[in-house]
Amino acid sequence: MAFQMLLNFFLAFTWMFLKTTFTPASFLVGYFWGLVILFIFRSYFSERFYLHRVIAIIKLFFLFLKELVLSNLSVLKLVISPKLSIKPGIFALPVEVEKDWEIMLLANLITLTPGTLTVEVSGDNKTLYIHAVNIDDVKDSINGIKDTFEKAIMEVSR
Amino acid sequence: MKTNNLILQTATKVLVFIILLFSVYMFFAGHYEPGGGFIGGLMASGAIVLLLIAYDIKTVRKILPFNFIKVTATGLLFSAGTSAGALFFDKPLLTHWFTYVHPPLLGKMSLHTAVLFDTGVFLVVVGVTMTIIQTIGESE
Repeated sequence: MAFQMLLNFFLAFTWMFLKTTFTPASFLVGYFWGLVILFIFRSYFSERFYLHRVIAIIKLFFLFLKELVLSNLSVLKLVISPKLSIKPGIFALPVEVEKDWEIMLLANLITLTPGTLTVEVSGDNKTLYIHAVNIDDVKDSINGIKDTFEKAIMEVSR
Repeated sequence: MKTNNLILQTATKVLVFIILLFSVYMFFAGHYEPGGGFIGGLMASGAIVLLLIAYDIKTVRKILPFNFIKVTATGLLFSAGTSAGALFFDKPLLTHWFTYVHPPLLGKMSLHTAVLFDTGVFLVVVGVTMTIIQTIGESE
């Protein structure tokens, strides 16, 4: 990804020098044509076309925003309900993502999900210990985390 | 003995894109400055020839999975389409039309149907050159 992006920037600057117009508009046009050329030559690189990854990052960002709103709403519901009918507990979640930043991102996203909170990462980076407000639906929350966050993170790093 | 083309291949990885960008620049320069579809197309096929020199025909086929005869046909379709398009507006054949638009960020831009005609020229030149080179390269 880094090489393709750098090459795209380099091509955009080359375009500016060819045109001898050093304006943001000329940079944008050069970036666009560089992108088109890189897209045509996408199977030349060992990695996939980098725009896929950029789109995945944007998707992850909006997923984060959505979960942030949902979690705050659910906390609001817990706070203003007259009876406190919760059953807290801690469960282990085996994770598939391997890189440090992926685990960090996953842990932080879990913390922002409604009703869950990352407590600790195991020593071998294979398990996350998560505190849940309602331990009854552990299975659901594991599957939910796996389906949404882990998939979205893997989409970025794949 | 098979020689190691590492230096050539690594340099090609960047050079091909600079040449292709230059061909795009040449293509769009055509209206106000020297350049145009023909030279742009030749330059683009020059970039692909550089790829062919650095790698081999099979690899380039995999990188660019185009049938270059079809590229030529598409180019002819573009040129014929834009020249025939004038007939729909009660104008003689090959009459072109242009306007200025002001898209956000990019400033003043002129849109001209001659660019579509030139795209056809570009594609025909790339298609024909690559067909010639690939056909000669493959025969033994």
